[in-house]
Amino acid sequence: MTDVLTIENLSYKRNQKLILANVDLTLAAGKIVGLLGENGAGKTTLMRLITGSAQGNGTITVSGTTTPAQRKSHVSFSEQLHGFSKSTKLARVVSFYQLVYPDFDLKRYQDLAAFLQINDDLKLSALSKGMREKFIIALTLARQVELYLLDEPFSGIDSMSRKKIISSIIQWTPENATLLISDHYVTEIASVLDEIVVVKDQTIAVHRGADEIRNQTGLEIEDYYESLYEGGVQHD
Amino acid sequence: MKFDDKVPIYYQIKQHLYHEILAATLKPGDKLPAVRQLAVDLTVNVNTIQRALSEMITEGVIESRRGKGNFVTQDTARLAQLKEQLVMAQLALVYAQLHALNLSDDEIIESLKRYIEQKGAAQND
Repeated sequence: MTDVLTIENLSYKRNQKLILANVDLTLAAGKIVGLLGENGAGKTTLMRLITGSAQGNGTITVSGTTTPAQRKSHVSFSEQLHGFSKSTKLARVVSFYQLVYPDFDLKRYQDLAAFLQINDDLKLSALSKGMREKFIIALTLARQVELYLLDEPFSGIDSMSRKKIISSIIQWTPENATLLISDHYVTEIASVLDEIVVVKDQTIAVHRGADEIRNQTGLEIEDYYESLYEGGVQHD
Repeated sequence: MKFDDKVPIYYQIKQHLYHEILAATLKPGDKLPAVRQLAVDLTVNVNTIQRALSEMITEGVIESRRGKGNFVTQDTARLAQLKEQLVMAQLALVYAQLHALNLSDDEIIESLKRYIEQKGAAQND
């Protein structure tokens, strides 16, 4: 099996503060991987380093390419759409994606939008939190790439929306693509994960198969994850 | 489907499919849903379904036909064997628990008979 992502000896500082250090991570093709860690642990930073929006020290290879510009055409990241004004209609955002990303597949978007019941005539400002997250998921998965990065798609949304999003992930992640999905609460997605990666103490503390964890520890993934923090740190 | 997150998911998928087969929801020779459809129906990922199915293929409970999909075996002897396995596994649990209550083998048999009689009586009411 080929590798989609290889990170070697990556470190990143912001304002003199070390955010990530000595990060090594390899993800194989065709996996759904949970990226776990507390708020502020560096999950989003790691994703931004992978896409090339942030620059660290070290080597990041996505589908054989190493420069940020080349990597961008192999990675689809769940952008939060902050660059669009609130009165922008969804259809305009979709057109923009089509223009900017040659790998944006309109048919895939339309299928996803129908499944997630997204109405393209609405303005961004009219979207509920759940609907906005669904729209972001549809845009992100509509691109045909090898690596998808979903940054906390479930934070603050209701359980029905969450189920819909999980179904769309299972249904629309291309067969040989890998999907990295960050969350600080793993139970809601545990059954769909092949592997988990835990960011802790500025580095990758754990990278392990989900069924391997269940098999070897007899623990739920959430309990295993929490056991890594035993004796310490408060949760939000 | 609700999973017990302490138990490997591929194992629970196998158990789920065994039950569908033995309850004849899936009959001998029936085609199984496509892998991705199963993944969506059960809310698990495609690789986990693949792992469960490939183990069941190795066990001879389902057959993979190239380009056509996966089918429940028509080997009724194999299915009877599977049923026996599952029945024994269930009984092993009950047996272990009753033994832990200090029941002898004879007492276990008597209790089971009594239970079935009472259950039968309740159903005939």
